[in-house]
Amino acid sequence: MTLFFLGIALTALGGAAAWLLQGRRRIADTAFAVLAVLGCIAGLIPAVGALAGRAAGGVAWDMGPATGIWAFEIDALSAVFLLVVFGVGLANVLYGIAYLGPERAHRPVGGTHFLTALFLAAMALVVTARATVVFLIAWEMMALTAYLLVVFEDEDRQVRRAGLVYLAATHLGALALIAMFALWGSWAGGFTFDALGGAALPAGSTAAVLSLALAGFGMKAGLVPLHFWLPGAHASAPSHVSGLMSGVMIKTGIYGLLRVIQLLGGIPAWWGWVVLSLGIVSGVLGVLWALAQHDLKRLLAYHSIENIGIILLGVGAGALGVAYEQPVVAVLGFAGAVLHTVNHAVFKSLLFLGAGAIARATATRAIDRLGGLARRMPVTWIAFLIGSVAIVGLPPLNGFVSEWLVFQGLLAGAAVGGPVRGAVLGVAALAVIGGLALACFAKVTGIVFLGEPRSTAAAQGREPGAGYLGPMVALALVCIVIGLLPPLVVGPAMEVAAGIAAVTPAQLPAILDPVHRGAWGIALVSGGLVALIAVGWAVRRALERRRPSAWSETWACGYAAATPRMQYTAASFAAPLLRTFARFSGIRTERGPATFHSHPFDLVLERVVRPTWHRVLEVAEVIRPVQHGRLHTYLLYIVGVLLALLVYLWRGAPS
Amino acid sequence: MIVWPAIVTLVWLLVVAPLLPGIATKTRAWLTGRRGPPLLQLYFDLGKLWRKRCTYSRTTTWMFRVAPLTLLMTTLGAACLLPLDGSHAVLRFSGDFIAFASLLALGRFALVLAGLDTGSSFEGMGASRDVTFATFTEPALLLGFATLALLSGSLSLTGMFGTAPTPAWTAGAGHVGAAQALIATSLFLVLLAETARVPVDDPATHLELTMIHEVIVLDHSGPDLAVILYSGAVKLMVFGALVVGVLIPPAALSGVRAVAALTGGLVLVAALVGVVESATARLRLTRVPQFLVTAAALSALATLLVLLQ
Amino acid sequence: MRAAAELLLVLVVLADFMILGTSRLTTCIRAIAFQGLMLGLLPIALTQHWSLRIAGLALGSIVVKSLILPWLLKRAIREAAVRREVEPRIGFSLSLVLGVVAVAIGFGVAQRLPLPEGAGELLVAVALATVIMGFLTITTRAKAVTQVVGYLMLENGIYLFGLTSADRVPFLVEIGVLLDVFVGVFIMGIVVFHINREFDSISSARLTELHD
Repeated sequence: MTLFFLGIALTALGGAAAWLLQGRRRIADTAFAVLAVLGCIAGLIPAVGALAGRAAGGVAWDMGPATGIWAFEIDALSAVFLLVVFGVGLANVLYGIAYLGPERAHRPVGGTHFLTALFLAAMALVVTARATVVFLIAWEMMALTAYLLVVFEDEDRQVRRAGLVYLAATHLGALALIAMFALWGSWAGGFTFDALGGAALPAGSTAAVLSLALAGFGMKAGLVPLHFWLPGAHASAPSHVSGLMSGVMIKTGIYGLLRVIQLLGGIPAWWGWVVLSLGIVSGVLGVLWALAQHDLKRLLAYHSIENIGIILLGVGAGALGVAYEQPVVAVLGFAGAVLHTVNHAVFKSLLFLGAGAIARATATRAIDRLGGLARRMPVTWIAFLIGSVAIVGLPPLNGFVSEWLVFQGLLAGAAVGGPVRGAVLGVAALAVIGGLALACFAKVTGIVFLGEPRSTAAAQGREPGAGYLGPMVALALVCIVIGLLPPLVVGPAMEVAAGIAAVTPAQLPAILDPVHRGAWGIALVSGGLVALIAVGWAVRRALERRRPSAWSETWACGYAAATPRMQYTAASFAAPLLRTFARFSGIRTERGPATFHSHPFDLVLERVVRPTWHRVLEVAEVIRPVQHGRLHTYLLYIVGVLLALLVYLWRGAPS
Repeated sequence: MIVWPAIVTLVWLLVVAPLLPGIATKTRAWLTGRRGPPLLQLYFDLGKLWRKRCTYSRTTTWMFRVAPLTLLMTTLGAACLLPLDGSHAVLRFSGDFIAFASLLALGRFALVLAGLDTGSSFEGMGASRDVTFATFTEPALLLGFATLALLSGSLSLTGMFGTAPTPAWTAGAGHVGAAQALIATSLFLVLLAETARVPVDDPATHLELTMIHEVIVLDHSGPDLAVILYSGAVKLMVFGALVVGVLIPPAALSGVRAVAALTGGLVLVAALVGVVESATARLRLTRVPQFLVTAAALSALATLLVLLQ
Repeated sequence: MRAAAELLLVLVVLADFMILGTSRLTTCIRAIAFQGLMLGLLPIALTQHWSLRIAGLALGSIVVKSLILPWLLKRAIREAAVRREVEPRIGFSLSLVLGVVAVAIGFGVAQRLPLPEGAGELLVAVALATVIMGFLTITTRAKAVTQVVGYLMLENGIYLFGLTSADRVPFLVEIGVLLDVFVGVFIMGIVVFHINREFDSISSARLTELHD
């Protein structure tokens, strides 16, 4: 634990150094980078240790009556999320140093670096906290630093508005969490997680806890329909912050759900079905809406919603396994969820960093203005392609491994029978998600990187420096390693899952063995595929040497005057699918005499949240006279409330 | 562990695979009163293309050149996961059917990117249509596998096809028979879409605007094109083997007889494709998703039948 | 339950899907005729002991449901010169997906119902699914002819419910139901025919003039 706190302190210190020394840019950047690297490594050591079976003992301090006991501990579940926070977080932070460099001309960036460091520290505290109050403090610190980072470019009205929506949404979520912990704590008679977990809850209270958890943690995770804050916030933030939010922050919602499941022990089946259904809805709608987007970063943000959906499919299957007492289903489902959480953090950050590099190089995020970047930014292109293949869930990369586990979790009921077999319906959803994700990333990579540049901005794209490429290449390598050697990660993921599902060690080998063999099978398939393609490449090189290839223009059916503007656009590419899903796809089209425009919009934000907000404002207008600024009326209110309280106490409050 | 019979079977089927599109075309020609190209036409085409050299567009990158290879290797990889000789696949593990679907998806992804690599609107259009239809074939295929998993209690293709006791759909235990018939129908519809056949796509069309699969590979030439054509034939073989495998679980027979039954079944499936091609017109493009949703609905119905059991 | 009966029931559901998925009126009618034929064959496939009653029921259903009613509907289309396309208010794919949901509901309910011994969950599930899809057809299709088809689906679903206790329902009741439907469809056919004839002469362009 000492190392862990040292890591947090070093990271925060690095941020402070970047802030205080911002007058001298080189020293500030170096100090921040070195301290962040040291801090994250220090934080990673206990996490890896916990996963290897050497759990660090917890610590607890009594902080007096105001905030109660502050307890921290790193168990396997915390360790996985710590890996994400420190590992993926480090890549984002280092990228941020390079990324914000050009911004110095417009504004000081030291404060932003400091906030980033605090953000990272807050997330690390969230996933290790073992007591309610300190958990909520860390949770709010995470939310607020994220808000301040989102409004980095605060001269833009869109950005300010996205920040406001995020702030409102995150506080709504926090409200649900405070209510949950307050109720739960009062039933359990203590506010440390140990007390919450050990308590026998009165009948019916589990339902309240689980519903509030789903609302509060679901808001943070961004599951449909609570996702409305997410696309705006993630698209508006600087790219490395988008990577942190999308890759790491929303995962704390998943962490919360898993922790609640673990603490409660028994889960009612209905909750599993609800989570599974929410996973299906989030996954399918998230990727469908992503397909409709024209803005690269908004598109990636919607993909986060999709991936949260996939993770929830795993959580749902796991919860059903717990509810119906089928350890195989529970372990496979949770393992899929945990592993996909890690994988998504890696490839989504990679993609956001790639998007940031593109935005820096071409000064645009509009997919339809790009094109032909594969020649101009070859390393970015390969890294982005790796991220794309991974996020679509294709071999030989990491996304496939976790989707493989989730699929098995959904289907594991086949062997054991009973109502848990119903989870098989999630398979159809996962298949649709896979198909749509493939379409979406074929669109992104194909239109942005291939073909000819569609604008002068795209033609000027140049490869960014090592500060950008280093973190991207590192993340891409993680994708490849996990993809080619799944047994490395599947085993630990299953053990973490066993911890959540409270499966006894005696039951574990029977579950683990076939999956372990399967993981080696995947390693064989992926490795074999790569090897075969390499051999094929060698053969065609030999063939080409014998018969040199000819070079010419793209065949356009004899039409010789084709211009880059005539290339197929991303909007047209997505059109057939969006038309098929009609009114669910959230796109508005506008036809003029010789023009055609399509505007994606968020169905939930525009159809539900905004109207509700306006209704709230109307109601607020009615009660507005209550607040008019005269001091004695306020005093009257206070006296009134006091009187009411006294009357309440006098009538005998329930003790 | 190396399973020699499985490897020998696979090699045999890979050799005869180019015959299947020939059979389909021949059947279609006969039924429409023409003589049609010879059965071995695809072998001749492959031989001719292999001897030529490639011509590339200056717009293209390495993606364009690696795509045919990826398509071939992924299709071969998928074939390795099927228990073709009745009892064993070359490679089998828990959850290999997901690898099967994902490998095919990877091949598609590569080919679609190669299409977009040319910067041509024709290829873009084809790519867009291809991914659109794939979105609907995926659930049909995976629900079919899921149902087979529910029936057999096994999560590997070898278990799903290789260990089913008897051709259960005459025995009528539970709803097995009806479910198997539904899955086979659904898989056949998926086959038509995946191998670019009427009523989804027409391999004989000569208008770029109406092509789907053909137009994505419009710029490929020489050995590259040969590789793509051969992969298409293998894909037809793979999906045909799925359909046949559901109807005649190969475990019912053994050894050479299973392989013979599969080969015969493949010929019949190819002929059936020809019959469908001559009997139906191509669907309007906007109607294709509906056709594929029907396939998915059949699979879903099979799933429900089995769940009720 | 026997395998043949199962296959027939699956085909009944497939006919339902066909009605939901097709864009052509004639295919719709063909599908409902096919469904009628399957329903007619079902009592034969279900029964253990043959009787004149069962044979009569089967024959009656086949004649009315798969010959007379479709013929009436086809005539209505021909005489009224309706455009031969279904006019759905929701997309075909969505209709199909809702159809699958209907089947799922049918199965779910059938598993929870306290059924008499040997009634067959599949039979009840298919009956329920057919009724729901009948409602779906009635509510989501604009044309009068498709509405009639929807009513026929409803009736077929109820008929399937009846089959769960085929041995107990009096023969006369069955025949009465058949007759009822026959008369109903006959009258609706005439109504459809007349509506079309009355309004055929008014072109839609003239209708918009009325609006101003």
